[in-house]
Amino acid sequence: MGGPACLVIDAPAEQSADLEHVPSEVVAQLAALEGRYSRYRSDSLVSTINARAGTGEFTELDAEMSALLDLADQLWGASDGLFDITSGPLRKAWDFQDGGSASPEHVASALKLVGWDRIEWRDSGLHLPQQGMEIDLGGLAKEYAADCVMRLMREAGVSSGMIELAGDVATIGAQGNGKPWQIGIQDPRGSGSLLTITLTDSAIATSGNYARKIEHEGRSYGHLLDPRSGWPVEGPASVSVIDSHCLTAGAVATVACLKAEAGATEWLAHAGLPWLMVDEHHALLGPIAEAALVSS
Amino acid sequence: MIGAISRNKACSGSPTPETKSSKGTYITAKRPHRAAAARQGAGVAVTEQRPRQLLSSSPFIRRLTQSLLVLPAYQALPSAADAPPAFTEVGLRYTRYSEDSIDRNAVIFGATDRYDIDITQLWIEAPVGASWSVALDVQNDYQTGASPWFIGAQQDGDPGVIMSGASIQDNRVEVGVTTRYFWADGNAGLSVSHSDEDDYEALALAFDASWNTADDARTWTASASSSRDTLNPTQGVIPVFITEADLDTQSGYFGVSQILSRAAIARIGVNYTYSEGYLSDPYKFRDQRPDTHERVALSAGYRHFFIDHDAALQVDYRYYADSWGTDSQTLELGWAQNLSRSLLTPYLRYYSQREADFFSVIADTDASNYADDYRLSSYGAVTIGARWAIALNDMWALEFEAERYMSDASWGLYEGEAAPALVDFWRGTVGVTWRFD
Repeated sequence: MGGPACLVIDAPAEQSADLEHVPSEVVAQLAALEGRYSRYRSDSLVSTINARAGTGEFTELDAEMSALLDLADQLWGASDGLFDITSGPLRKAWDFQDGGSASPEHVASALKLVGWDRIEWRDSGLHLPQQGMEIDLGGLAKEYAADCVMRLMREAGVSSGMIELAGDVATIGAQGNGKPWQIGIQDPRGSGSLLTITLTDSAIATSGNYARKIEHEGRSYGHLLDPRSGWPVEGPASVSVIDSHCLTAGAVATVACLKAEAGATEWLAHAGLPWLMVDEHHALLGPIAEAALVSS
Repeated sequence: MIGAISRNKACSGSPTPETKSSKGTYITAKRPHRAAAARQGAGVAVTEQRPRQLLSSSPFIRRLTQSLLVLPAYQALPSAADAPPAFTEVGLRYTRYSEDSIDRNAVIFGATDRYDIDITQLWIEAPVGASWSVALDVQNDYQTGASPWFIGAQQDGDPGVIMSGASIQDNRVEVGVTTRYFWADGNAGLSVSHSDEDDYEALALAFDASWNTADDARTWTASASSSRDTLNPTQGVIPVFITEADLDTQSGYFGVSQILSRAAIARIGVNYTYSEGYLSDPYKFRDQRPDTHERVALSAGYRHFFIDHDAALQVDYRYYADSWGTDSQTLELGWAQNLSRSLLTPYLRYYSQREADFFSVIADTDASNYADDYRLSSYGAVTIGARWAIALNDMWALEFEAERYMSDASWGLYEGEAAPALVDFWRGTVGVTWRFD
């Protein structure tokens, strides 16, 4: 899933035996989802779709994939096209591995391969009309995986558990001792946490623009790109959102990071969920920050 | 005798047993179903184990969440197999029922004060082992006041009420024990209850069972009950003409409730009751009712949850007919609104009844059966009220309820003579529940 994972299950002694099988089932579940949605796996469903780009061959979708793509579609619409899972070719144009630099011609030609609205749909299949186009479910799949693990644990009878997948956290109940889970929100500027929040039976997803950097004409940008212009967005350093599930929290946080700060604040206020934004000046904004100030 | 009007017990389906009393109170007196104060989803979501729903105020986010419900990860876990309550519950409830004084102009003789009843209920329900539960219900009614003795003609020819003279004071105690067994797909209960007051004693046995289909979308409910009542009317200011009498009642109910969608549930049911014995009111001067009474009631209910409002619309309809000619219809509308830690349900109920075949405003004592009891007349009634259930924390819950009932002969859908003694009343209830492991 592209990041470290941590699983915690708190259970009273008499339940431990029943729950012994859960960690291995969780690992199996994560492996299965990675096998379907990772673009680094050549045999994944996503890679299959990408390999067939421009060939005319449609790929059938099952209910799960359809639901995730439907979510991507709703987010594309709600964000005026900022959230676009076909923006992979743009990433390549900027080539982040090398600290990122790109020429306008590269960006322009990459843009030709980007566009959620260009995807061709049939009864339950899709086709990417041009070779080089690709879909990337990375972010959504990771958050979906956290929610699937939550469901698996709940079905197994876990009443106190937590999973962390590359910065996104989902919890069941409170800790075994009755206290809420304590989650640290990472400082975009370095290691260490900005503040600690408490979660009970909810999830927090963080989207950030700080992991990789683009240097262009003397300025430093985050790695998130505007799929309409091809150029980096000038938005917040990171946004964290709390909801009952990781996927919805992550969707809101991701779209917020793609917007300029003013637009992001408005989007977050409209979403009606607790949020935290670290802006480009490293200031903390949002109800989560305000609550932390009050309680400290 | 059994003049009580059952209050619909919405989603569970089985009818609330009537209160056994010589005075025929208008309140059915059972402790609330343990689901009462819990969060109202589609009227079903009580035992669901789901993550606390933050319920964003944004319609877009809620639509997003709804569209994800096709994926198992976002669906509520199927409700646990029918299981006994996980905790012991103790509850205490107090109700004050107060009838308006009768209009002085309608009274020929007697006091204008009518009934006041103080009802105290105590219940304890506890799990026993993995599959059983036991419940004890105790209720005390303290009644004071006067009631119509008979109807006569005033000087201007209009009917007028002769009220019973002195105020009665009567205390009734009812004790019931229910034992319930739970299995994967349902539960069944057996209960025994005994009601005792100076002039009336009742013993009842009831059995009920409900079972869920495999997909938990449908629940069947059936119940049967039998009771034996004995009257020893008190000789007092009102002369009574019998010393002891008894009556037997058998009743059966069958119903089904079905989850129609994530937001809707509907239920229908039919109830049949047969009574035999002394069915007249010994405290009415002119009251001679048949010695059998057959009753059928068809009921239907619907609940729809509106996610944007975090509230549910409740609609209940009941059609009733009996062998005495007293047809009736009831329609109740309620709006169960989730608030941060509580559920507020205002409701409106309309009731309309046709007079019994042998009813006349001034009893016709030449006929083989006759009665001037306003409860057998043709009238309509409107009730407006609200219930407020508050969950203080995991262990304590409060409930409040207030209701205003008004009846009038001209408000009914059926033709008939207007009884001068129709009643209006207020009812208020407060209750507290304590749950612990």
